[in-house]
Amino acid sequence: MALLEIKDLCVQFQTRNGVVNAVRDVSLQVDQGELLGIVGESGSGKSVCMLALMGLLASNGRITGGQILFDGQDISPLAPACQNSPSLYEKQMKQIRGNRIGMVFQDPMTFLNPVLKVGTQITEGILSHERCSRAEAKNRALQLMRQVGIPGAEERFRQYPFEFSGGMRQRIVIAIALACNPKLIIADEPTTALDVTVQAQIIELLKQIAKESHTAVVMITHDLGVVAKMCDTVNIMYAGKMVEKGTVDEIFYQPRHPYTMGLLRSVGTHGVTGRQALISIPGTPPDLLKLNTGCAFMPRCAQAMKICKDYMPCETLLGSTHSTVCWQDCKNSADEVVAAACRDRGNL
Amino acid sequence: MMRNATPVVSIRHMKKYFVAERHLFRATDYVRAVDDVSLDLMPGETVGLVGESGCGKSTLARNVIRIYEPDEGEIYFKGVDITHLPNAKLHPYRNKMQMIFQDPYASLNPRYTVGDIIMEPMQIYHMYDAKQRSQKVQELLELVGLKPDHISRYPHEFSGGQRQRIGIARTLALEPEFIICDEPISALDVSIQAQIINLLERIQDEKGITYLFIAHDLTMVRHISHKIGVMYLGRLVEYGDAEEVYNHPLHPYTRALMSAAPVADPVKARATQRIMLEGEVPSPIHVPVGCPFSTRCPECRPECRIAQPVTATQNGHKVACYKYV
Repeated sequence: MALLEIKDLCVQFQTRNGVVNAVRDVSLQVDQGELLGIVGESGSGKSVCMLALMGLLASNGRITGGQILFDGQDISPLAPACQNSPSLYEKQMKQIRGNRIGMVFQDPMTFLNPVLKVGTQITEGILSHERCSRAEAKNRALQLMRQVGIPGAEERFRQYPFEFSGGMRQRIVIAIALACNPKLIIADEPTTALDVTVQAQIIELLKQIAKESHTAVVMITHDLGVVAKMCDTVNIMYAGKMVEKGTVDEIFYQPRHPYTMGLLRSVGTHGVTGRQALISIPGTPPDLLKLNTGCAFMPRCAQAMKICKDYMPCETLLGSTHSTVCWQDCKNSADEVVAAACRDRGNL
Repeated sequence: MMRNATPVVSIRHMKKYFVAERHLFRATDYVRAVDDVSLDLMPGETVGLVGESGCGKSTLARNVIRIYEPDEGEIYFKGVDITHLPNAKLHPYRNKMQMIFQDPYASLNPRYTVGDIIMEPMQIYHMYDAKQRSQKVQELLELVGLKPDHISRYPHEFSGGQRQRIGIARTLALEPEFIICDEPISALDVSIQAQIINLLERIQDEKGITYLFIAHDLTMVRHISHKIGVMYLGRLVEYGDAEEVYNHPLHPYTRALMSAAPVADPVKARATQRIMLEGEVPSPIHVPVGCPFSTRCPECRPECRIAQPVTATQNGHKVACYKYV
């Protein structure tokens, strides 16, 4: 059984300019010990998806549909158990956040409390989730600090975040995420704010942790290089939709969705050397307030067909692990999909 | 490319120290942002500068166009020493040296329309009459790939990539010969980055402009640059032809940097032997004695900790490391 399974998740935000469907029918699956990369541009909904999972959406956002199964239990606010009781949901999420699911964010300085010693911040999670004494918690924290590669842990334990460099701060954040032996770590752009050489260290650290403690990691990033180095499987998101899923090799060497292909070409690694023009994706990412009913990538797609504009393609399996959402691959089922779409719209 | 021509910009032994803290009874602490850097930029050439944050690449660029005043060293623009020119005398050179900034959200005036933004430099330099100016604005908009009716809109109506195009159009309004691109793509989405790089290359091919291209994305720098300089703690540790530096990096820091750069190719990523650097960049206030890289260098020798290595040159490939002295 998968550790985490998200089924048809939908997230909406109420804004002054209208309703934004930030995540639209997203499904994904993470197995134990798996390293999953979610790739997408800014505004593609990759972070929102994970925040929704953790129950950390901004006050104007809410989950409007779908299931979130963690360890076999539905932990979404729409689950029957806490559907009508936000306080019950909040109680349940408090048990999960920082305990069974750890999180690493992009900017460690905004994550860490500047007026608390890092030691206090690491032990806080342990003390609130596990029955143990302060001394035990401290021992565990020191051990974690050593595990994430902080030299002089005893002394560093009593220091404040500002006394650490960027890479060391991110290590502290990882130590906090690991504090209660979570089964899953969600890393939201953990290396974007770091320099290349430090980024390499942090990626190596996350990989090693996942291997040693058999923790699954969901890595949210826009950097295909980071994914290539670190992940087992990759999900590509565009405008709130999953457009392609597969193993790293499938995504990088047999991409099917035009967006994935465009992304790979525009980072210029596919045989491009010297000053040949890069093959870029024309246009800009869509405004989520003004989406067409069909494929969101259609206006920028070189292979767009008539049907793409009005009808959403369905997910087509290309192999046991590889799937894509594009009309090119589900032509055969076009009639069924169109009929289903018409039915849905009739119902609305 | 022209050989043996005069460099468009030539930097000689430039130093820039910022005061970090003054003390009553001991010497003032300085941040040594740029320390003895020399660089020549030939016409129509792109020089890429790479290095981690705080290595002094932006400070170097700002010294060159005299946003900062360098503490030591000289800057020559087409053979003319502009290091100590007063502002009034610098005026005729400023329009020839322009800059594209990292953050397209912060570098455009939100109260100006796109037309005003692009026209302003021309007004300051009294170029053309009013009619020609607006015609020029139209030409520039077309050149950078924006629509003519964008002229009366405001910056907030555009996406990041489009704003960067507006910034480029403004830069080009003065017909510069030398442009500093200070991380022009790092704030943009991946699919937009390639568009901007292509645009910059096309403009260079059409107008023969010289670029000093600053970035930390090594793949893009390799793509756009003819020459590459690698900086570490204010010093230029390696400099040479782009392909040469990429395929045969000499300095241990360059090698580590290249191997740390994520490659979007899983097989290659698995195959490359990663050179892991210990620790992080030391503070530029307390630069290590000797070679600045000696504290993290996997190949450090005793002499590295005593004195700074001099720069050795092999076929135009310069490197500052004891291994090659």
